[in-house]
Amino acid sequence: MGRRIAITGLGVVSPAGIGAAALAEAVRAGRSAITRITRFDASAYPSRVAGEIRDLDPTVGTRKDQARYIKKMAKVMAVDIQLAVAAANLAIVDSGLPAGDPRANEPVLPTIDHTRFGMVFGTSFIPTELDEMAVAVQAARAGGEFTLKGWGLRGIPQVFPLWLLKYLPNMHACHVGILWDGQGPSNSLTCSDAGGLLSLDEASRLIRRGAADWMLAGGAESRVNPTLVMRYCLLKRLTETLGDPATACRPFDAGRTGQASSEGAALVMLEALDVAEKRGARIYGEVLGSGCGATTAGVNACDPDGSGVAAAVCAAMATAGVDPEQLGAIVAHGTALPMQDASEAAGLAAALGPAARTVPVTAVKGVTGNMGASSGVAELAAALLLMKDGQVPPILNCDRPDPEVKLNLVTGSPQPLASDLLLLTTNAIGGQTAAAVVRVKR
Amino acid sequence: MIMKRRIVITGMGSVTPLGLSVEETWRNLLAGKSGIRPIFIFDAETFPTTFAAQVADFDVAPYVRDPEAFGKAGRNVRFSMAAGRMAMEDAGLLGAKFDPVRFGIYLGSGEGALDFFTLAEGIAHGAGPDGKVGAAGFAEIGFKRYDALRELEQEPNMPANHLACEYGLRGPAFSCLTACAASTQAIGEATDLLRTGRADLMLAGGTHSMIHPLGVTGFNLLTAISTQHKDEPWRASRPFDRDRAGFVLGEGATLMILEELEHARSRGAKIWAEVTGFGTSADAYRMTDIHPEGRGPAAAMRMALADAGCRPDQIDYISAHGTGTQENDKVETLAVKLVFGQYAPKVPMSSVKSTLGHLIAAAGATELMTCVLAIRDQALPPTMNLENPDPECDLDYVPNAARRAKVEVCLSNSFGFGGQNDSLVVRRFVP
Repeated sequence: MGRRIAITGLGVVSPAGIGAAALAEAVRAGRSAITRITRFDASAYPSRVAGEIRDLDPTVGTRKDQARYIKKMAKVMAVDIQLAVAAANLAIVDSGLPAGDPRANEPVLPTIDHTRFGMVFGTSFIPTELDEMAVAVQAARAGGEFTLKGWGLRGIPQVFPLWLLKYLPNMHACHVGILWDGQGPSNSLTCSDAGGLLSLDEASRLIRRGAADWMLAGGAESRVNPTLVMRYCLLKRLTETLGDPATACRPFDAGRTGQASSEGAALVMLEALDVAEKRGARIYGEVLGSGCGATTAGVNACDPDGSGVAAAVCAAMATAGVDPEQLGAIVAHGTALPMQDASEAAGLAAALGPAARTVPVTAVKGVTGNMGASSGVAELAAALLLMKDGQVPPILNCDRPDPEVKLNLVTGSPQPLASDLLLLTTNAIGGQTAAAVVRVKR
Repeated sequence: MIMKRRIVITGMGSVTPLGLSVEETWRNLLAGKSGIRPIFIFDAETFPTTFAAQVADFDVAPYVRDPEAFGKAGRNVRFSMAAGRMAMEDAGLLGAKFDPVRFGIYLGSGEGALDFFTLAEGIAHGAGPDGKVGAAGFAEIGFKRYDALRELEQEPNMPANHLACEYGLRGPAFSCLTACAASTQAIGEATDLLRTGRADLMLAGGTHSMIHPLGVTGFNLLTAISTQHKDEPWRASRPFDRDRAGFVLGEGATLMILEELEHARSRGAKIWAEVTGFGTSADAYRMTDIHPEGRGPAAAMRMALADAGCRPDQIDYISAHGTGTQENDKVETLAVKLVFGQYAPKVPMSSVKSTLGHLIAAAGATELMTCVLAIRDQALPPTMNLENPDPECDLDYVPNAARRAKVEVCLSNSFGFGGQNDSLVVRRFVP
């Protein structure tokens, strides 16, 4: 069994606002954060809605010296990385660990052993910002065709020297590690939508095996840019609805039309329970178990029978030592892509047996859209706040539940939380699946 | 106290610039043969760096059920399919019965190559007089020319996705990208999944090719890769040499079958070696520099040794990260001295990157493979091009010629750009 894992800090930045409470409140109120795309001119794109974070300040909650570092380094941090930094700051501050006083020359987090503080982030390969390449591309062309010879001669010298570092998928952890002196285990999982909960799984195991006492776990990703919206349009994953953006993303609804692109970052502070109790930390919940698996139906497909999701759910239930009947609620990935929701629902039904018909199932992407690698952990943070008072919020825009979905979908109004045990699931199309069982502290 | 489940290597497969199999690569490494030559994958004639260690004469077809399904895949995916197939075959798992939910994947893997020409044309088409790129203009080109599946193939979890589909593996699946440390970390964390009983078999390792226009561009801009010895590129990768001037890009894949010992025994599997220790840490120092005292690398090595229950003087060989940058080689030397103390000069430590180039996310797994083979053959691969000693690099780097040696236990180091450090301990399997 090993050590027990407490959740002692929540940090979320989402289209619903800054902070886990902002997301929880939007979900409770059934207020969609999906709007027409304003980040770029999407008029030539078939999908024109997204969840956008506006006016992000990645220095919120930091010490003056940290704020200076963030401002100085912002030019080498792609949006994803800035989101991660912001969410990490929020989670650490929320954990109540003393940040240290720079005026008294205190180091950051002076009360902890920094070699036992680590992080696992779900991230993705970040596409380059187009503007950044414009001058170099024009120089390479010099009036003619774009060629690699021209790029080598005239283009490369026009790209800014640290360009590569702005986009590497491990730079989120690099900067957060520097800011908060996290010298412990550090990993960056590039598993698309599944990265967040996979990070929770790995970070929990790192604490259980004694390699760390504090771990940030979660993910960050922005899919609101011309390149990724194009990619997912080409792959037919995004909703092309031209109606009210607030109703565009419809998880498990019979009329669902696809995902809404979105962005966000969500990190939780995991802490060995004995360590957390010793310092009198506020405990939001406990990670009882987690599991993962894979889709095998094709790299651009979801298992029709949900066997990949089922593998993760069964493993999570087994490591947690929890039976399906004991679950209080399920927070599903529910992206609103027809094949992905169908697969997830089938997997949950297969893994949970008869209990699948009774345990309330909710999803938050009607509010947020698909926040990529921050999925799963953003939902976890919101759920820990939402379900403290015993209510499972309804799925926004699930007005006509898909009759093929054999689950107790929460629609219209909240359902009572049946117990304090939550199951969370995520899955990447064609790829990884993950699930976690968490006890909500009420 | 519960006994740790023991984890052994029961299969290996590899595609590198020095060979399309484990044995061919190993033979060429021991012979000191270089895989570095002018770039032929794309036209790099006018790039600051014009050479790399590339995989030549490679075709994915013999290694997959449906070669057509890989027409749009990147080199990373293709290499991983070949290495995966060879590892499965080597472990006796091709066509064998196994529980698919107990068989997982953990890869350190990089991106597929992006369609740079379409990106450039799209940017040029969308660029306005103010230098800003309008998304509408970009989209006009992009929606015409980008191919949906080719775009998907860029995502770094695609090698893991393809492997899961090819072999029907539904166990724990992970893909990490901690730069140059990724596949060492993948094997270390896969070991933990096996130890904690989450799986019985793991296909683990790394695959990567950054030998594409933007990869070379990025490293050239950072002045991380060597631009010297253009006319004799096999001399460009010079780990621990005084005149080292950066690393040389390589590409390839190495995958291993990691297996819980009792599971391996019950099916009578051949056992290559045992993975006994894993350590992982972060520098938390600066974005572009390693901590000058080697704090992070030392912590990773110490943790790996402690995990293996192994004293420094029990290590017979260190497979160095040894990139051939001024900073890495100096700091790695310092970190080894911190951990090994007076024993440091006595433990041979070489860098196969001198001939193989730097396989980035695939480097660690490939280097662990050389440790396993060093144990089998009681032979150490050399650090080539070590012609001018550097006073700050004064350990035994096995210079310029392979060496016979007693090798029972090895340490393999990988330190990622951005500060992630990972070390593994592997030893001869003793029942």
